Amino acid sequence: MTSVELLVLLGLALLIAGTLAPVVRGALATAIALQAVSIALLGVGGALVLFGAPAFGAAFRSSLDPGLGIDGLTGFFLATLAIVAAPAAIYARGYLAGVARSRALIALGGLFQIALVGVVMARDPSSFLACWELMTLVPAAAILVRHSDAAVRHAVFVYLAVTHLGGVGVWICVLALAHYGAVGDPAALAAQGAGIQALVVVAAIVGFGTKAGLMPLHSWLPRAHPVAPSHVSALMSGVMIKMALYGLIRVLFEWAGPAPLWAGLVVLGLGLLSALGGVLYALVQHDLKRLLAFHSIENVGIVALGLGASILFASEGDETWAAIAFAAALLHVLNHAVFKALLFLAAGTFERALGSLELDRIGGLLRRMPWTGGAFLVGSMAIAGVPPLNGFASEWLTLQALIHVALGPSLGLGLAGALATAGLAATAALAMFCFAKVVGLVLLGAPRRAEAEAAVEAPPSMRSAPVFLAGCCVVLGAVPGLLVPSLMQLSPHPQSLAAEPGLAIPGTGSLPSPWLLLGLIALSGLLWRLRGARRAAPVPVWACGQQIEPSLNWSSAGFTKPLRLVLEAVLRPRREIEAVRERGQLQSIRYRGDIPHLFDTLLYGPVQRGALAGALVARRLQSGSVRAYAGYLLALLLGLLVAVRIGAIG
Amino acid sequence: MTALAGAIQILGGLALAPLLPGTIQTLKAGLQGRRGPSPLQPYRELRRLWRKTLADPQPTTVVYRLAPCIVAAATILALFLVPIADLSPGWPLGNDAIVLVGLLALVRFVLAAASWDTGSGFALIGSSRDLTLSVFAEALLVGALILAALPAGSTDLVAMSGAASGSAIWSEPAHWFAAVAFALVVLVETGRQPIDNPDTHLELTMIHEGLLLEYAGRDLALLEWSAAARHWIFLVVAAELYLPHWGGFGVQLVCLVIGVTVLCAVLAFAETAQAKMRVLRVPALLAGGCLLTLVGLISWLVG
Repeated sequence: MTSVELLVLLGLALLIAGTLAPVVRGALATAIALQAVSIALLGVGGALVLFGAPAFGAAFRSSLDPGLGIDGLTGFFLATLAIVAAPAAIYARGYLAGVARSRALIALGGLFQIALVGVVMARDPSSFLACWELMTLVPAAAILVRHSDAAVRHAVFVYLAVTHLGGVGVWICVLALAHYGAVGDPAALAAQGAGIQALVVVAAIVGFGTKAGLMPLHSWLPRAHPVAPSHVSALMSGVMIKMALYGLIRVLFEWAGPAPLWAGLVVLGLGLLSALGGVLYALVQHDLKRLLAFHSIENVGIVALGLGASILFASEGDETWAAIAFAAALLHVLNHAVFKALLFLAAGTFERALGSLELDRIGGLLRRMPWTGGAFLVGSMAIAGVPPLNGFASEWLTLQALIHVALGPSLGLGLAGALATAGLAATAALAMFCFAKVVGLVLLGAPRRAEAEAAVEAPPSMRSAPVFLAGCCVVLGAVPGLLVPSLMQLSPHPQSLAAEPGLAIPGTGSLPSPWLLLGLIALSGLLWRLRGARRAAPVPVWACGQQIEPSLNWSSAGFTKPLRLVLEAVLRPRREIEAVRERGQLQSIRYRGDIPHLFDTLLYGPVQRGALAGALVARRLQSGSVRAYAGYLLALLLGLLVAVRIGAIG
Repeated sequence: MTALAGAIQILGGLALAPLLPGTIQTLKAGLQGRRGPSPLQPYRELRRLWRKTLADPQPTTVVYRLAPCIVAAATILALFLVPIADLSPGWPLGNDAIVLVGLLALVRFVLAAASWDTGSGFALIGSSRDLTLSVFAEALLVGALILAALPAGSTDLVAMSGAASGSAIWSEPAHWFAAVAFALVVLVETGRQPIDNPDTHLELTMIHEGLLLEYAGRDLALLEWSAAARHWIFLVVAAELYLPHWGGFGVQLVCLVIGVTVLCAVLAFAETAQAKMRVLRVPALLAGGCLLTLVGLISWLVG
């Protein structure tokens, strides 16, 4: 047994121990430590396999005997899981201190990690589907253990309903693959012809796409993520939705591969819709956690853009760029996991201090919580995609892949690539708009309510996790080139690239990220020295010589108003102004404005109404009378007899 | 030769950038029949600002105070990416067009954060408008860069400007579309009429000036220099990628000087001839530019 295998086995054993430990009263700290250490061990093991240690464990098989194993792709997702889950576990230590039912929450946290590990390590259909369902159900349980008022119960219901309806796609896809003996064997599916392959591909896109939160199948995501406890929402947003991308990659790139051209275009189109739609709706949210949830949709869309581009390159025979686009998608998976987990954890800290996360009523937290606030600032810059942080590195690589689709020889793909490129550029600009707003409303300016004024820094365990993740954002932004060559090896068309800190990709002007970081720090420092010697005169902010009224503070809606006016045709905002008059005199004016989520009103609403109407019709069959049921049985029997007689069955 | 190009690239960018807005102001005054300031006026302004005290609006944080330094640093880094006369001395920063877009986005983000830090209504109205326009401007900019990358097959600015030199490229309709689209980008990114009016401090009209309103002294000098360097970057990229140029180093350099001067004159003429547009009309103009780049791409891929 090699040392890597030993490491992984030890990790698994400790993880199970850490999940069971909270049953013992008073062992909570031990349980959390066990969970953090075990997931870190698994992550190290995964990273070692990713960077070249031999794959081990069972091979993929279509039979139902359970088996676990690790290869490069599993290793990458294990490492991604660990880099988020270990800090989240440490964060939970402070976050759950003194919270009711913390033992249950810690045990569920461990179970959630087991499910996530199981999904990526499963090597047979039965354990994959079991872990998959567990991964869906455990966060629902964690949400309900924490809160159980009517609104939260409804959110959980929508989450379970939508993911299970969409999850049918996963079952169809995996069971069809198992039926044809194609799990881990692309030749077996190819032998079944294009029809079966199309069925598997469509089922995979619908099933995994729902769980990943791809628009228009995303409806559950902005409901479920905000109500979960923060250390769970960090894992949900950072890792759980990535597990769906893991499944999609396994099916589209390995088992049903090479995926047809149309699948590439569908994935690219869904990615573009999710990226633009996600960020647009994020921009008009007024609650921090809901806003972050919409950004998860956006980032899954960016990953899908990379995957779609990779399929298009592969179908055109450009294996180098197919591998680069694939690596871009995976790099963004990791980067998004890091900065989104950071933002959710920091949001949890803010929520703890303030009570609620209404954006217009926070303000000034950078001064009061320098560690958490500073980490939140770094995470915001990373998700906004500004250099030299990690979000820019993976968005740069994805953008380059899309540009090279646009440069390609065929007209149709060229246009698709150009549209996707322009869409991604607009997405990046919108994300920056959104996080300029978030940073401004949450961290900067004067505090906007008493709780924000009185906020103090969180305890060390809650503060260290975001700071660690902020460090990861900087490091991953500085040296993406050490990771990308290994990721390119995971592509179905492995290509080699020299490992160096920056990204020197042929056909681009290269992204020498370490030099960007150093140059920026050195030049800013130099200019600070040049500028800094003078004393600054304290002055009030200029407001035309008037007193600054708190009620005149800029709001989230005010800041985004120009964009809302420009995009009125797309967003369709609703506003109502009601003037209350008494004896001809104006008493007061009531104003209400909101932006309806068009997917809910135009797509899910009619579907829901149709389903309810259908259920009403179906209810008439359930009369409760024994004679009616006997009649149904008779009708069924007769129907079957007729079917056998005419040879339809049997 | 390469070393000389590198020296012009950096020292020219640092020292000559304020000359560009100065020249535009002088030409504009001439076109309007006024006796305007000398082209050297921006240098005098910078010298004056450099000697004045700083202002520290209350309550602000380190974000507000660091912003001018980061903005200027990112702008200097951007200067390293833009080659002169198809030559690059191999700075370790590479020459990628998309990295250039990223650095300019960093500038925008930092200024927006600083305006939230002051909470000043003027700064926030400016950054809110700036960010709204940037959504469309970035899509258009990337579209125009794709068209310029077509002949080179790369987003390396050295390769792109090399592929755009000579006369053969002008028989491609895509190049003409690209030039028109980039002209719109230059108008937005340099904050010139009809999109923004750099001469006014009226809250109804201003975009980029609003962001700088609270700054004073050396902070303001750094920001004013960065705005001038933005002119330099966009006009040089426009001349290198989208205007005629050919031949060896000397001829290329002459072409560059003529190109940048002509662009300054065009900007001055546009400011004189055009009234400022309504802010909310600008996205439609930029979206039209995006359509142009698509048409250009089709003409290239079909041809």
